[in-house]
Amino acid sequence: MEPATKPIPNPLKLEREMDYILDFEELNKNSLQMVGGKNASLGEMIGVGIHVPPGFAVTTDSYLRFITDTGIKDTIFQALSGLSVDDVEALNNASAEVQNLINNAPMSGNVRAAIEEGYAQLCTKCVVETVPVAVRSSATAEDLPTASFAGQQDTYLWVEGIEKVIDSVQRCWASLFTPRAISYRIKNEFPHEKVLISVGVQKMVDAKVAGVMFTLNPTDGDLSKVVIEGSWGLGETVVSGSVNPDKFVVDKVLLETTEKTISTKHIECVYDRNKGGVINADVAADMQCTCCLEPQEVRELVKLAKDIEVHYGCPMDIEWAIDKNHLFPDNMFIVQARPETVWSQRKTEPVIGKKSGYQLLMEQAMKRIKIS
Amino acid sequence: MAEKKAARFPDPHEFQVPSELEGWEEMYPSHYLFSKERGEWESKQFWYLDKIHAPEPMPPLDLIFQEAWQISLSQYTTRVFCIPPAQGIAQRMVGPYMYICAIAPPPDEVIGEKAQRFEKRVFYVFEHYDELWDKWLTKFKALGKEMEAVVVPKELPKFVPEDQVLPAPTGYYVSYDILESFNNLVNQMFKGWQYHFEMLNLTYLAYLMFGDVCRKLFPGISESAIGKMVAGAYVSMFRPEEELCQLSRLAISLSGVANILKGEGTADQKIAALEKSEDGNKWLEAFDKAKDPWFYVSCGSGWFHYEGSWINSLDIPYSYIKSYVERLENGETIERSLDKVDKERDETVAKYRELIKSDEDRDAFNNAYNTVRTIYRYAEDHLFWVEHWFHTIWFAKVRKFGRLLVDNGIINEVDDIFMFNRYEIPELLTEVATGWALGVDIPVRGDYYKAKVDKRKKILKAASEWNPSPALGVPPEEVAEPFTIMLWGVTTDKVKEWLKGMGEVSAEDVSELKGFASSAGVIEGPARVLKLLKEIVDIKEGDVLVSPSTNPSWAPVFTKIKAAVTDIGGLTSHAAIVCREYGLPAVTGTGVATSIIKTGDILKVDGDTGVVTIVKRAG
Repeated sequence: MEPATKPIPNPLKLEREMDYILDFEELNKNSLQMVGGKNASLGEMIGVGIHVPPGFAVTTDSYLRFITDTGIKDTIFQALSGLSVDDVEALNNASAEVQNLINNAPMSGNVRAAIEEGYAQLCTKCVVETVPVAVRSSATAEDLPTASFAGQQDTYLWVEGIEKVIDSVQRCWASLFTPRAISYRIKNEFPHEKVLISVGVQKMVDAKVAGVMFTLNPTDGDLSKVVIEGSWGLGETVVSGSVNPDKFVVDKVLLETTEKTISTKHIECVYDRNKGGVINADVAADMQCTCCLEPQEVRELVKLAKDIEVHYGCPMDIEWAIDKNHLFPDNMFIVQARPETVWSQRKTEPVIGKKSGYQLLMEQAMKRIKIS
Repeated sequence: MAEKKAARFPDPHEFQVPSELEGWEEMYPSHYLFSKERGEWESKQFWYLDKIHAPEPMPPLDLIFQEAWQISLSQYTTRVFCIPPAQGIAQRMVGPYMYICAIAPPPDEVIGEKAQRFEKRVFYVFEHYDELWDKWLTKFKALGKEMEAVVVPKELPKFVPEDQVLPAPTGYYVSYDILESFNNLVNQMFKGWQYHFEMLNLTYLAYLMFGDVCRKLFPGISESAIGKMVAGAYVSMFRPEEELCQLSRLAISLSGVANILKGEGTADQKIAALEKSEDGNKWLEAFDKAKDPWFYVSCGSGWFHYEGSWINSLDIPYSYIKSYVERLENGETIERSLDKVDKERDETVAKYRELIKSDEDRDAFNNAYNTVRTIYRYAEDHLFWVEHWFHTIWFAKVRKFGRLLVDNGIINEVDDIFMFNRYEIPELLTEVATGWALGVDIPVRGDYYKAKVDKRKKILKAASEWNPSPALGVPPEEVAEPFTIMLWGVTTDKVKEWLKGMGEVSAEDVSELKGFASSAGVIEGPARVLKLLKEIVDIKEGDVLVSPSTNPSWAPVFTKIKAAVTDIGGLTSHAAIVCREYGLPAVTGTGVATSIIKTGDILKVDGDTGVVTIVKRAG
């Protein structure tokens, strides 16, 4: 797959060797080192024409520049040296110390300017004065625990205004130093200094319904299915498992829904203006058992999933959202896509095994033939 | 929809037949009636209306085909190829409607005995399939020729011809001939049906085997997907239509012929006009050449004498030709692309195959698929030869007997012979022979037979207004017999839906029907309900066909309709396959479409989900 070679000049490229931010449109799978897996993936999908909310990535260079310019770099790594995974208290203390350092150090200079400009441009693009964004960590190395350790610290939703954006970016950087992340690196003898992080700043989808989907059946590894899970509001309830989502199992070849489960969706993650952030609100009683997706939406999601899988050439794990402010199909968004890791790594066991047509016929004759 | 009471199907012995049908029992042989001698067993079975083979009230003589297949289908399963866990399919008449039931598996010891024989016997057929198919076709065509060769005396002469007496008497005469000929016809019919099932049981077994493989590899895969991978384009069933296409093209190339064929008027009128010119005669010659065997195709299913075939109902093929010629002149393509169907099927199979991870599994899938494709051709091809070609020969011969009976004062019209079953006709013929033998002015019981004909016709007419229960007896926990599932589309879910319909909901309250998603697409259009196949001429462009089941011989109609909805039929039934051929949305196996939907209702047919919605009622 050719990298997207759109020569959009980056006005923020103030120093020749460094990009502090990169628009998603400039990214592709070759951008991994600069912007991490998640952001590179978003760029890759945009390049294929998949509908992704716009945004930009704060590069790994920005992180390095920040901890250098603020002078906290050495302090951080000193605090972490000599830690043992068994000393939980020390671990927690070191983590707290480092995270505080990062959160409180004032971001300035080129990095801040770049993020300010990036956010301003995003607001212009979205024709909104202060566009609400999701601020998410994006790891560069597979060794670095991120999505599989998805916690509260590495994703911030419905962030509005440049100050909050800056603040969220710093918190994402700080998530590199959660107790878990620190001990993981110690266990794997991965030097803290070598770890880099990028942060994605992406327009929030004002989701009426959102969720995840897999281009195989996560229950049994069946490659012929797309499995969609969705619930009302933002996708975090599905991702975090705090709600029982509706589930759709769809055959990829003929696009038939082979299984459909409607669950009681009692809460939804929505933006609350009064609280100034997202909350888990109660879903109206009559909506709880209503199917959250229409057939045309299911079909479109399956189509997107298939396109993504074909492009990546492997089973994918995808997050999607449907915006309440637009009409179908413009309201369908892919928020994230990454290779599926569980089944792809398992050894393939044959289901039927070596059998001739005749043997199969004999077996069939002998069965008490049952249908479901 | 109104709330329904929990339902059960009526007990077959308690089920009441409307009083207008009084006297119906005598039309059919005694073993077709629910009876107290077999009562205990009968009450425990699950009987459902056979709308594929008997969608309409059963004329007595037409029952012969059902009799024949009851024996034939069943014996291959139970006694010949010994499919281990299966038994036969039984039939009963209730009024003039036929119910069938799949009989539960035999005891385990018997299953074991069958298994041993099954393995040996099936292996041979499996290994030699193509060769056996060729042999089958040869022997079946020979049987048809044999039936064609049966001589039906035109009359019982005043005096037997001299050459039957001098120089030496033959020893037996027309009084014997008429009985022997009719017996021969009946025997040949039964033999033909013995041939019919020779490989068919295996075909369905192969289908189920493939379905099983698919379900293991792709859990939850739909019947729809499996059917689409197995079923391809018919070969012989679509020859008749291909011949029409060729004749239509020929017409365009011959001056004046196209204009005659496009005109209004009957086939006879057009033939008379064509005979007047050289080009016209040339065309008629080509038509004649195509006739045997392809125009022996029935205008309907081939199960009923009144459907007619193209060779004796020339208005039908001529009306198809008329529309083909018009379309050709409009620059349209008239030939259906059978290649397209096969290509789509192959693509679907390839896509599924790609999704198989293990090499061993992929091999198994390929083996299973090749097995079913090889064997399945038989299912597709035999239909034309048996139900169409062979039955057409039968009907023509029987009508000769009908003529004889008319001429001898037994019945009023030729087709009235079909009001007597195959056991009764020898009686009628014997009376004719006897009357002839006894001498001049010997009375026959003509009025008696004619009165019977009248009464039976009335019963059949009354029955066509009646909607009997879709099923009787005890619904099974699960439906297990393969033919039942595959061909009749009767599944556990279907039975549950029928049970729902047994409650107090009236037809008018129902606005949605469910069936198999047999052919993709969603459309809306006005319904045309066809219960009697002769109503086919009422079909208008853009109608949604609603019928008990559809027929490949209706193929040209599929160019007019927008979608099809049927009462019965699974994914590999003729209805499903034909609709996919034509790219029309289809929902089959709804169970109740022809009872619930009325002509003129606006329907939304969703062939993707198998749902038919009555958007607006007519009138």
